[in-house]
Amino acid sequence: MTSSQKPIRTGDTGGTVICCIFIILAAVSLWDTTHMLDSDSYVFPRAIAIALIVFSISLIVWNLAHPDIAQQQRPQNESTVRRMLLIIIMLLSCFSMPWLGFLISGVITFALLMVVAMYHEWDARKRIIYPLIAIAIVVGFYTLFSRVLQVPLPTGLLFE
Amino acid sequence: MPGIEYLIAALSSFNIMLALLGVIAGTVIGSLPGLTATMAVAVLVPITFSMEAGSALILMGAIYTGAIYGGAYAAILLNTPGTPSAIATTFDGFPMAKKGHGDLAVSLACLASVTGGLVGATFLLLLSPPLAEVALAFGPVEYFWLAVFGLTLISALSEGNLLKGLIGACFGLLLACVGIAEISADVRFTFGSQVLLGGIETVSALIGLYCIPVLIDLVATPDKHLKVTHEPRGFRFLEALAISWKLKLSLIRSSVIGTLVGILPGAGGSIAGLVAYSEARRTSKNSENFGKGEPEGIMATESANNATVGGGFIPTLVLGIPGTPPDAVILGALMIQGVKTGPSLFTEGGSIVYTFIYGLFLATILMLPVGLVIGRYAYKTIITVPKAMLVPTVAFMTMIGTYAIRNSISDIIIMILLGVVGWFLNRFGFSPSPIVLGLILGRIAEQGFVQAWTIGAATDELMKMFFGRPISLAIIAFILLSLFYPVIRSRWSKLNWRGANDK
Repeated sequence: MTSSQKPIRTGDTGGTVICCIFIILAAVSLWDTTHMLDSDSYVFPRAIAIALIVFSISLIVWNLAHPDIAQQQRPQNESTVRRMLLIIIMLLSCFSMPWLGFLISGVITFALLMVVAMYHEWDARKRIIYPLIAIAIVVGFYTLFSRVLQVPLPTGLLFE
Repeated sequence: MPGIEYLIAALSSFNIMLALLGVIAGTVIGSLPGLTATMAVAVLVPITFSMEAGSALILMGAIYTGAIYGGAYAAILLNTPGTPSAIATTFDGFPMAKKGHGDLAVSLACLASVTGGLVGATFLLLLSPPLAEVALAFGPVEYFWLAVFGLTLISALSEGNLLKGLIGACFGLLLACVGIAEISADVRFTFGSQVLLGGIETVSALIGLYCIPVLIDLVATPDKHLKVTHEPRGFRFLEALAISWKLKLSLIRSSVIGTLVGILPGAGGSIAGLVAYSEARRTSKNSENFGKGEPEGIMATESANNATVGGGFIPTLVLGIPGTPPDAVILGALMIQGVKTGPSLFTEGGSIVYTFIYGLFLATILMLPVGLVIGRYAYKTIITVPKAMLVPTVAFMTMIGTYAIRNSISDIIIMILLGVVGWFLNRFGFSPSPIVLGLILGRIAEQGFVQAWTIGAATDELMKMFFGRPISLAIIAFILLSLFYPVIRSRWSKLNWRGANDK
């Protein structure tokens, strides 16, 4: 454990907030079960939703009773921007896939993620080799899945 | 030993080549997140149609064996179970890899898989007809209790906070309810969305909950993915062999558990791995190290999931009831070959069955060199590839692997969103493993519970249905033991300690 990851006493506010969200989720689930006609459909999820509420309330009470519980401190040098970019690029790739097709959207996604994950300088060698490897990986996987495994990958509305 | 002539037939150069190719193909496919053993067998089945039945079976058995083992690579090196069977491998495999022992973990997984595969094949060879009866003795209520037994693992996976583990498991169980109810066909928790009608795909959810948080953390810092030691250490095979020898009893017990769970139709490698892991943790001297990189955890899971291969073939061949989903594909291929399964297959179709069983032994033994070499290559690739290549490659693999399961872009979106939710939850101490446990066992538990409840209510013997059957009672005993054994053991050692101090 590094010095920046030592436990500190801050309380479990995050855990309490998540429990509140779970209580809302369970309540919505319980409400949804009222529309189900057959008892076979609602007995199990209703029991689980009630259990979720009970456990969440118990944790909230526990957290209130132990406000100085030790929490793990996170490293300071983490990049939230890169994290968000990773998720945004992956989601955008999904939305662009029906239009651009798996291959083109895959190459673009791969290239963008490569830029996001790069922590070193882009020297001349990397500028040439990395894109070539990226294209080889995407085309290799595309060929494996679409030709060998016969998975019908999207071809893209723009190219039909 | 039944039919030595079939052993010789299985060892023909053509069959050896088929077994080798099957193991390699299966291992590579199984190692890709999203591609399951079922898919590996299904995709390669057409190749076998022109072959002789015995050789076709050997190829399919080899692919299946290799694919189940291949799932361990991604579980150990990327914290993503390549196949659902390898879920419990992530619990200790990834922590071991993070500590710089990924190479040892891969070798341990290989040795355990080979041991499990051999035990399963031995049961298939010697005890098929009597063991097939076990499959028939399991009713819905036994499946329900088996799923509950799997859920008791939550106490082990809660990382210090049982309440958070229970909340995570309830969340997973609710996720398992999304879609159309299996028994009554009511639409549940879709809130009008057609995308959710098919439910949350288990393998996609696994990839999301395990792999996306790893990617999110991987991209956030310039640090290496795994701890790397610079001295060359080879396969660390002798080290793995020494650990395996030390844990031989646990290894055999997990293999037997895997075989028995494999016999139960629909249970499969994931439940076998979870039950074996739970039992290994309960009985281990190092139970407190489970979940933190304990070799015994990897060995228990990997031996159990590979033992399901042999176990699953028992009801498939003797009763014509597939034990696991890949068995169902193989059963279909057997029918195309004109092979009639049933108790008489072992007497009338001995040439096919015994050649196949010996072929399964052969494939399992071949898995040792193949698994070690591919595992070593996978480990070296993961630790040497620069982050700028590793992140997009893994992200791309998760996306294409998720898509391939149901040919659905919506599944990729759900996978990514679940990953983000899993990352947030993990940040606040809610480990993803109980969620996954709930998601996987939820469907089995609900189906078993509702069916047993319906039968019990109809026959007016509800209590007897749940608590009056011998197998159910045995599983309930194991559940109680699993839950309270740590407390009993700690009380026992305290009493012993006091006794020693008093003297």
